[in-house]
Amino acid sequence: MTPRIVVTGLGVTSAIGIGVRQFWEAALAGRSGVSKLSAFESMPMEAYRSQVAGQIHDFAVGQYLVGPLAERVDRFAQFAMVATKEAVADSALQLGREDPYRIGVMVGAGMGGMVIAEPEYHRVYQALRPNRVVPNFIPEVTLNSASGALAIMCGAKGPNLTISTACSSSAHAIGLARDAIRAGRADVVIAAGADASIVPLTFGGFCSLRALSTTFNDSPEKASRAFSRTRDGFVMGEGAGALILESLDHARKRDARIYAEVAAYAATSEAHHMVVPREDGLEIANTMSMALRNARLRPGQVDYINAHATSTPIGDVVEIRAIKHLFQRRANQVAINATKSLMGHTLGAAGALAGIVCALTVDSGLIHPTLNYDDPDPDCALPGISRRAQERSVQVALLNAFGFGSNNATVVFKRCLT
Amino acid sequence: MTADTDVALRVREALAQYLKRDVATIKPSDSLRDDLGLDSLATIELLYQIEEAFDVEIPDTDLPSLVTVADVTTYLQGRTTQAPPGAAKPNLPSR
Repeated sequence: MTPRIVVTGLGVTSAIGIGVRQFWEAALAGRSGVSKLSAFESMPMEAYRSQVAGQIHDFAVGQYLVGPLAERVDRFAQFAMVATKEAVADSALQLGREDPYRIGVMVGAGMGGMVIAEPEYHRVYQALRPNRVVPNFIPEVTLNSASGALAIMCGAKGPNLTISTACSSSAHAIGLARDAIRAGRADVVIAAGADASIVPLTFGGFCSLRALSTTFNDSPEKASRAFSRTRDGFVMGEGAGALILESLDHARKRDARIYAEVAAYAATSEAHHMVVPREDGLEIANTMSMALRNARLRPGQVDYINAHATSTPIGDVVEIRAIKHLFQRRANQVAINATKSLMGHTLGAAGALAGIVCALTVDSGLIHPTLNYDDPDPDCALPGISRRAQERSVQVALLNAFGFGSNNATVVFKRCLT
Repeated sequence: MTADTDVALRVREALAQYLKRDVATIKPSDSLRDDLGLDSLATIELLYQIEEAFDVEIPDTDLPSLVTVADVTTYLQGRTTQAPPGAAKPNLPSR
């Protein structure tokens, strides 16, 4: 019999809190983690169109981890390590008692080690001394440095993969972690997502792409405003999330706390455009529909959707269009929120952080508010979106995540009824 | 050649270079999207080149007014154009 997969541990490194408790309290209270963009040394900051970001200020990895490994990886991998340490502790797994070859790691990352990459590029071209590139450059910049570091930290010798599909990366990490356990390749998989790319070149690249909010530079906490009439682009964020996935049998044997079951996962490509979704929303609707069919659930059974909802003019309306198309009248009853309204868009970490929110919401019945939803766009407005926290029984939750490269993912969580 | 027509020609030349077409085939009345086939990302790339060529910065809020080649020319000649009331924002990158 194919095993059922459950979530038994959570960990967060975010702009609204390091640690799940702090993160969840801030989310339910509707506290924003978006602030004025910190200065990039001597860079003329006024030249950036967008000047707001969801940054984790004053992060010092030594406060959370000891040993040389954490000091020798990029910021995004440090975020992942901190989140994973918490998730493992939260799960109460005794890693030393597990078969190490049955513990896997799946990490979603969009950009990789940009914090070391950018200044090093600059130095080598400026000094013209290619023989003085720092020796640890390649190990730190490599996209799978985070999944490698997590394996070393946890002694996890099972499947170790990095998934990079831009903003949907770690939704796929959760889905593929589930698949790996169902296929019998692991008993436990650490599913994580991480990104830390608020650095001069990458941030400038997103500005040039005109993807970021520009009209709320003087009121940063208002800039990430999914479904609002005045939304004008996403806010760049950073962070990491980690979830411990294991088979229900494995969790039961050790009497683990179960947050939620990961009931299904669907992955598609729109095969349409590198950075813009199909306007009719049919591909997104199809992705959600496939995931629900895989879970043997009907749209009418869905109670809550953690929307991708980046606060871009086209993205939000297309997702709502897709929800209305698939859910019909149920679209007026399902609760929907935008986690990115709290801390901006954390790119490769977004799926994992949304997955954590789904697990906590299924577990608690609490739905965090969507910040700045004070001027609803008539094309996005649905009764289940609220700028206040909601409470209701959530049996089934969907996580939507979409990435550049025409990439879509939906993960289905449900209450674990045994 | 007047300054105004110089701007018009430079805009058409920038488009011709971007599209790899003969400048004579690009008319002021051409719509960037419907006639020249520029999608949102291509429009942003073109405007990036025009910003470089004319040493200007075109804010996102001005994009809705730039529908035709002539609109771009007029905009550059004095940034006098305003987005018509209710003009939809273009489909900027979103994921």
